[in-house]
Amino acid sequence: MVLKLYSAPEARAGHGVVALVLAEKQIPFELVLIDQSAKQHKTPEYLGKQPWGQVPYIDDDGFVLYESRAIARYLAEKYADQGTPLLPPPSDLQKKALFEQAASIEFANFHPLAFKLILEKVVKMMNGQPVDEVAVAGYIAELSSNLKIYDEILGKQKYVAGDELTLADLFHLSYAPSLAPFGIDVMTTAGLNVTRWWNDLLSRSAWVELQAQGIRGTSP
Amino acid sequence: MVLKLVGAPVSTCTRRVATVLVEKKVPFEFIPIDMSKGEHKAASFVSNQPFGQVPYIDDDGFILYESRAIGRYLCDKYPDQGAKLVPALNDVKGRALFEQAASNEYQNFDPLAYRACFEMIFKKRRGLTPDPAVFEQLITALAAKLEAYEIILGKQKYLAGDEITLADLFHIPYATTLALAGTDIMSKQGPNVTRWYKELSERPSWVAVKDGVQSMSSY
Repeated sequence: MVLKLYSAPEARAGHGVVALVLAEKQIPFELVLIDQSAKQHKTPEYLGKQPWGQVPYIDDDGFVLYESRAIARYLAEKYADQGTPLLPPPSDLQKKALFEQAASIEFANFHPLAFKLILEKVVKMMNGQPVDEVAVAGYIAELSSNLKIYDEILGKQKYVAGDELTLADLFHLSYAPSLAPFGIDVMTTAGLNVTRWWNDLLSRSAWVELQAQGIRGTSP
Repeated sequence: MVLKLVGAPVSTCTRRVATVLVEKKVPFEFIPIDMSKGEHKAASFVSNQPFGQVPYIDDDGFILYESRAIGRYLCDKYPDQGAKLVPALNDVKGRALFEQAASNEYQNFDPLAYRACFEMIFKKRRGLTPDPAVFEQLITALAAKLEAYEIILGKQKYLAGDEITLADLFHIPYATTLALAGTDIMSKQGPNVTRWYKELSERPSWVAVKDGVQSMSSY
């Protein structure tokens, strides 16, 4: 049975990254739309599958999985031999460890700040609420400081885990692409290497197509 | 050459790594860093850990940082030694459920637990004033997250299934520090979380390191 993705349709946040991995790995899937404004992610039926009431989750022929990074890893492992390679070979312990290091840096030193900027600036602007610009400036300063370290790392290697693209790079796409359209240009002002890496990710054809079309299931 | 763990003796992340070293029975030399003297920002430290954060390991010249990455590396390198803490490589679904639980730890538990501990403990150490109202808000938010833990742990013994994994162990440092911060939330949420938390906090590998990491030459 074809994999089902229970998700919002916009190609952003965790569900955007899952959709990107599905595209990169050429995995057929059916999109089951979840309307968060109608609280469809909080129904008892939904909570029975995803107890946190968060999107997305997948149902792979009866195997239910949530947490976008866990779903991405599962897809990249299950379909290791098809589409874009997104994980280091499991037999290479050190490459694998450096991938895990990069994945951990993303959720420890990048994601919390990118996410706070989305909540404080992007979401509030979209809802017409007042923005705490002092807080925003603080988050930008901290993110910029971390990105300077990224710049050193990316001066020595092409991607965050080494010279090959991995999921650790793609995980950065969950929130940060929404910053520049709202006037936060930290991803392209922290350093030349970060800028090169960031533009590389944003210009991946699978990502470009997702941004243009939104998340769509593949035809049967 | 014996593995070196470079960190601060009671740092949460350093103890997170030390717990896994003990679980996997890996001998290590502990090299303490005095953060109050800024040793984690010194050039010699930053050349190995560019974010200036503790800990990192030097495994016979292989440098690795981020405590959860180190824990995973140790489990991959020593699969047949000590406790089994991750599903086998060929168990794709088992590993996916482990990753789901590991993701819950850093998405749904750590941010709130860390900020609660920061508010009541770490702020004081930096000469700042704790705000009990902020702390209460964080604990209330954490309690809401723990409701899902209560449901999950009612169906299975641990977060990834019926066997303990790194995903459970990664919770221990901040979960136990919450008590020092002034909340007994981990023992009040419900019978399942209470049972799970009690077992983790009494785990011998944690007990061995909780009061300060020291070198271990044999097990």
